[in-house]
Amino acid sequence: MAPEQLLYPRTADTSSSEPDGSDVHTELLSVKKELRGALERENWLRRTIDTANDAFVSTTVMGEVLEWNSKAEQLFGWSRAEVIGKHLSETIFPPSVSDNGAGGLQHLIQVRSEGKRVETKARTLDGDEISVEVSISPMREGSSFVLNAFIHDITSRKQLQAQLTHAQKLESVGQLSAGIAHEINTPTQYVGDNTRFLEESFEEILGVLNCFNELLQAVEGQGDVAAVVAKVKKVSEAADLEYLKKEIQDSIKQSLEGVSRVASIVRAMKEFSHPGSATKTPTDINKNIKNTITVATNEWKYVAKMVTEMDDEMPLIPCLPGDLNQVILNLIVNSAHAIAEALGKNPTEKGTITISTALRDNFAEIRVQDTGAGIPESIRRRIFDPFFTTKGVGVGSGQGLAIARSVIVDKHAGTIDVNSVEGQGTTFLVRLPLEEQSALANEKHDRKKKDSK
Amino acid sequence: MTKTEMTTRILFVDDEPKVLSGLRRMLRAYRSEWTMEFCEGPEQALAIMSQTPYDVVITDMRMPVMDGADLLTEIRELYPGTIRIVLSGQSEQERILRAVGPAHQYLSKPCDPEFLRATIRRVSLLSQRIQKPEMKALVSRMDSLPSLPSIYFELLEELKSEDASVDCVGKLISKDVSMTAKVLQVVNSSFFGLPVHINDAQHAAALLGLNTLKPLVLTASIFRQLEDSRVSAAYLEQVFSHSLEVGGIAKALAKAEGLGKESADNAFIGGALHDVGKVVLGDNFGQEYVALCQDSEAQGNSTSELERKQFGATHADVGGFLLGLWGLPQEIIEAVAYHHEPDTGIDEGFSTLSAVYVANLLCSEKAKSEGQESLIDEGYLARLGLQDRVEAWRQIAEELAAPV
Repeated sequence: MAPEQLLYPRTADTSSSEPDGSDVHTELLSVKKELRGALERENWLRRTIDTANDAFVSTTVMGEVLEWNSKAEQLFGWSRAEVIGKHLSETIFPPSVSDNGAGGLQHLIQVRSEGKRVETKARTLDGDEISVEVSISPMREGSSFVLNAFIHDITSRKQLQAQLTHAQKLESVGQLSAGIAHEINTPTQYVGDNTRFLEESFEEILGVLNCFNELLQAVEGQGDVAAVVAKVKKVSEAADLEYLKKEIQDSIKQSLEGVSRVASIVRAMKEFSHPGSATKTPTDINKNIKNTITVATNEWKYVAKMVTEMDDEMPLIPCLPGDLNQVILNLIVNSAHAIAEALGKNPTEKGTITISTALRDNFAEIRVQDTGAGIPESIRRRIFDPFFTTKGVGVGSGQGLAIARSVIVDKHAGTIDVNSVEGQGTTFLVRLPLEEQSALANEKHDRKKKDSK
Repeated sequence: MTKTEMTTRILFVDDEPKVLSGLRRMLRAYRSEWTMEFCEGPEQALAIMSQTPYDVVITDMRMPVMDGADLLTEIRELYPGTIRIVLSGQSEQERILRAVGPAHQYLSKPCDPEFLRATIRRVSLLSQRIQKPEMKALVSRMDSLPSLPSIYFELLEELKSEDASVDCVGKLISKDVSMTAKVLQVVNSSFFGLPVHINDAQHAAALLGLNTLKPLVLTASIFRQLEDSRVSAAYLEQVFSHSLEVGGIAKALAKAEGLGKESADNAFIGGALHDVGKVVLGDNFGQEYVALCQDSEAQGNSTSELERKQFGATHADVGGFLLGLWGLPQEIIEAVAYHHEPDTGIDEGFSTLSAVYVANLLCSEKAKSEGQESLIDEGYLARLGLQDRVEAWRQIAEELAAPV
């Protein structure tokens, strides 16, 4: 009972001493309370930020770090204490890794479209490069801005994407090799048949020659010339020399054509599957397109005729040849499927695939046009999405166009667009910058000019 | 017989004219035996066939508009007596599976000219074996044979199970005469580019592998359920168990007479398939044929005689014709086709045919009453010089039959 008694009078005491000093006390109490509240809120926010699944980084407009959560510590390796006050270019965005420049986050939201998530590369304390997705929101702070960013590690996603690209490549190579086998087996068949025919024809001609030899001997040695002449006539007739003359010529010509057909397929295959270098190489894209058409012959020839309109003035384009081949192949296969779909079960005539190249405004343009079924408006937006497919199970993994987009847009800073009319056909337009990164550089250049005005 | 009656009429279809001219030149030496026509597309082929009948059609697989499988399916419906062969450079399994039904044989491009000639020669001789056109059409139309339900469903279960084993699948197939015949057609016809002349169902299953067998059985349905047939399970069971017994004895006899492993294996398959014609006839004529067999047994008449009278061909003719169409090894075909008339065979000494012939009769003897005189043709044995071996053979058969 004692404590209660003690407490009670004391409370009573406080209330009784109200007239003197009570205001100060109350104020102190409320300040303390407010302080504690503020501290609690600060603590609460701190904990919220620290338990976030993504790294949180807050910087000044100039890129000086103001905030750095524990996930950022984990992801990048620098402790909060180490980075506060430092510039982002000294830590995660060094010029060697990213083109984010001194501006850091500021640059990211300016150059890339604002409000969106942007993908870029970042460096860790250990010196590893990782792929990150950065989501930035600017916050007004007095006369300036603070930039808050959540940074999400997408390295494993990127790796998965790379694996999928590889898997799709293997899938299409598997499909191709069946087609190529067919393309090679056919000429091999008729070259073999013709050679067997030549062997037998030679035997017959040899028989005729032998008779003529006998005739020669008969004439020289005064043999029974008349009898031998009769034999020569009989053997020549049996051999049907007129037939042999024509057919031997044709069979030699066709066999040579067959052999050169096989050789050209093998050559195209070799160039097609040439291990793509990791860096961009000046490439004759017309030649790459022609090779890819040859390699993929079996994919289109039963449903379409192929028309090419190449710009002969096309300069060498810096690109990843292996990846570009893959894109062309995917577009051709896509066109062939679209035409097959349009032709239906009982086609009466083939469709057309037209592939053209042109030079326009510092871009190399590649157009792949088909007279296929067209893409319905409702799904046109989704065709570049990974795994989006309208084809049946087993016809494809739905990666073809997603990979085309990724190769052209992400790896080459180009563009890929589609124009389609249902029932009439589809045109894919690929644009590749003539100089590496020139598109981006131009954009930067334009922006600088604007800024300086 | 006039000349046109004697020559075999062969139609070649390929969308590549160079392939056609290559074939035309290569086969020129046979122009007196064969009447050959070459055309560049399925529509054209069907138009030509509507004018004149052909004995054999050899077609490419992948062609624009209509492919080889569709063409052969159409020909099977319209002209069932025509022998249907694919000559294709395709290696896509999906497409090959489509041809397994409508094609009797599948040749891969590039196909050795000699092999192609030999194949055509074989099938063209074959088409002359059965004279009655309806019978020829009936057998040519067969693309599968009925299987025993117990084996069929066990096989399906095995193939669908997670831990299916090709060994187990092979064993099941070799217990079913119909499946054995079909699986040997698939491997021997180089559908999948495998070596030819396979004479062992288990070996065939192993060569095909589960990845090919699964779609063959589950999608292409190369084996057939009994429900779709006119025969009963009891009838099939009787034919199968007799066939497998003959196979076992024939193999033992072949070994005992010093034939090599190849011929001994052929003897087994020849024995296992010797009554495949009875499966075909039962499948098509149902009770009518079963009654014929019962009559023959009751009255002691030769089944072959009754068959010839009623259908224009014996079960041996039918079986030999079917297996010939399906491209099985020649030795097996002969053993099946002549298992009631071994003297037709051309072999000098004891052959695969002899083994099947003797094994079949030893089995029949056993089934009949004791003390009956030997059914084996003394004259034939005398020609082989093997009259004194009969007792030893009987011994072998009895040992095999004895419960283990």
